[in-house]
Amino acid sequence: MSVAVIRGQEVSSLISVKAGIGLRFRHHQPVLDTRPAVAWFEVHTENYMGGGTAPQYLDAIRHDYPISLHGVGLSLGSAEGLDAAHLARVRSVVERVEPGLVSEHLAWSVAGGTYLADLLPLPMTEEALSVVCRHVDEVQAYLKRRILVENPSTYLRFSHSTIPEWEFLAQVAQLTGCGILCDVNNIYVSSCNHGWNPMTYLDALPPAAIGEIHLAGHSVRQLEHGQTLRIDDHGSRVAPEVWALYHEALKLFGPVPTLIEWDTGVPPIEILMEEAALAEAALERQHHERKHTDSA
Amino acid sequence: MNANTPTLLEIQQAMQRNLLDSADGHAPVWVIADGLDPGARLGIYRNTYASALATVLRLAFPAVRQLVGPDFFEGAAGLFVAQAPPRNAWLDEYGAEFQDFLGRLAQAASVPYLADVARLEWQINLVLHAPDTPPLDITRLAALSNAELAQLSVKSHPAVRLLRCDFPTDVIWRAVLERDDHAMAAVDVAEGPVWLLIQRTQSGIEVMRLGECEWRFTAALFSGTSLSAALEEVPCDDAHTVLATHLARGCLVDASMVPEAVASGYRRAHK
Repeated sequence: MSVAVIRGQEVSSLISVKAGIGLRFRHHQPVLDTRPAVAWFEVHTENYMGGGTAPQYLDAIRHDYPISLHGVGLSLGSAEGLDAAHLARVRSVVERVEPGLVSEHLAWSVAGGTYLADLLPLPMTEEALSVVCRHVDEVQAYLKRRILVENPSTYLRFSHSTIPEWEFLAQVAQLTGCGILCDVNNIYVSSCNHGWNPMTYLDALPPAAIGEIHLAGHSVRQLEHGQTLRIDDHGSRVAPEVWALYHEALKLFGPVPTLIEWDTGVPPIEILMEEAALAEAALERQHHERKHTDSA
Repeated sequence: MNANTPTLLEIQQAMQRNLLDSADGHAPVWVIADGLDPGARLGIYRNTYASALATVLRLAFPAVRQLVGPDFFEGAAGLFVAQAPPRNAWLDEYGAEFQDFLGRLAQAASVPYLADVARLEWQINLVLHAPDTPPLDITRLAALSNAELAQLSVKSHPAVRLLRCDFPTDVIWRAVLERDDHAMAAVDVAEGPVWLLIQRTQSGIEVMRLGECEWRFTAALFSGTSLSAALEEVPCDDAHTVLATHLARGCLVDASMVPEAVASGYRRAHK
């Protein structure tokens, strides 16, 4: 590897209202070699918690690009409480990277002292709402910054849930002051899986709280009796239906920093840049339309 | 709250048990079927859990996987992740017990050096993700008198580890990863034990063989014993050369005069 250890960021931490790309390990060297025209990158916080080459690469990339940190391990919805050691690890990555955005998920992963390595669905109850809000408060106080909370993709619902997921998420934002990371693909996947209207979901979210949008591919699994289930595997290009929903989201929220994610069979950065260019075009159109409306 | 309504803790603990063992039937009771068996809905999450952790193990133990074949490895990983779920969300730390698990696995007994290869790969994994710490500055030592030097206490750099293996594991590991059949055929399993030092350097991972005495002296040094005590404990002929090599290679950190250790040595001597 050929990375000098670089300290001090040359580029501001600010994530601009443009399309960014989910940076994975295979992109480290190509990004340093070619310095592609990407507005910003997002990485998984948990991939940069130790020492060695990965954080050195990130330091070098951070020198030239704003970075958003997207965590998967805080388990905001755990009844057992937050893992203080993990929160401390997150903070040390935040201090090192100086990210423009920090985000986590409306989900849980820890029970019985074990980490279940997935973003698991919460029952949508008043109790879960108060647990999530308490943990978001704790995280924001500890990190001394606002975080974004992302809507999940889910494959099951609990019979004792009493609050629609969109209302639950809007409540979390309202009660804690956190922002919302609106994953449009997740809304589409969950809506198909549970028979929801995705527009109901988008309409319920407070536009002022939307800090970022995620776009990714999903797969369709055929079940018995002709049923289908959509799986959020981040393993392909963004589906046409999700692009359509993204355009609706931009109409409601205005232009928002938008990320292209790809985690299964991660392609070269050029493919991700093609997807980002589509998002960028939609963002520019939205900028343009807003300007037009304002001056009319 | 309705007596039939589970608390958040109850539902999470029930899901945890179900994800580790599909036979545990408490969680499905609270899941809406909606055209698909609740057990099958939970199964989607169980598959994600198992495959995410199998991937973590596959990345940490590539030579083990090569030795036993992908199918056997997936099977062993599946058993392991159901028995030994991670304790926290930093998965770079996951897999420490896999070596012992493989050592106990009856089906793996035909490959006697398998657990040793797993132990080596685990040490490599630890070294890969160890914290970045500046190594001991040699110029600071030059200023010390011989007496001060003798009382010097050092520790191993976090990206340096020692390992003793019954088999020539370093040679096996290299041959397996390089898919070098000639080297593998030339391995004499009776050649062991081997005394290894594993280090992360700017160019990657290095696995080096030390002599037994060198290794024992190094182990004494790495444990924080003063130089004079290490020399006394493990009197090697070339101890000073070993020390110089470790210093030059950045294997040591945190040189400090150890007044407390000196004082306790004095107390021991004058009891």
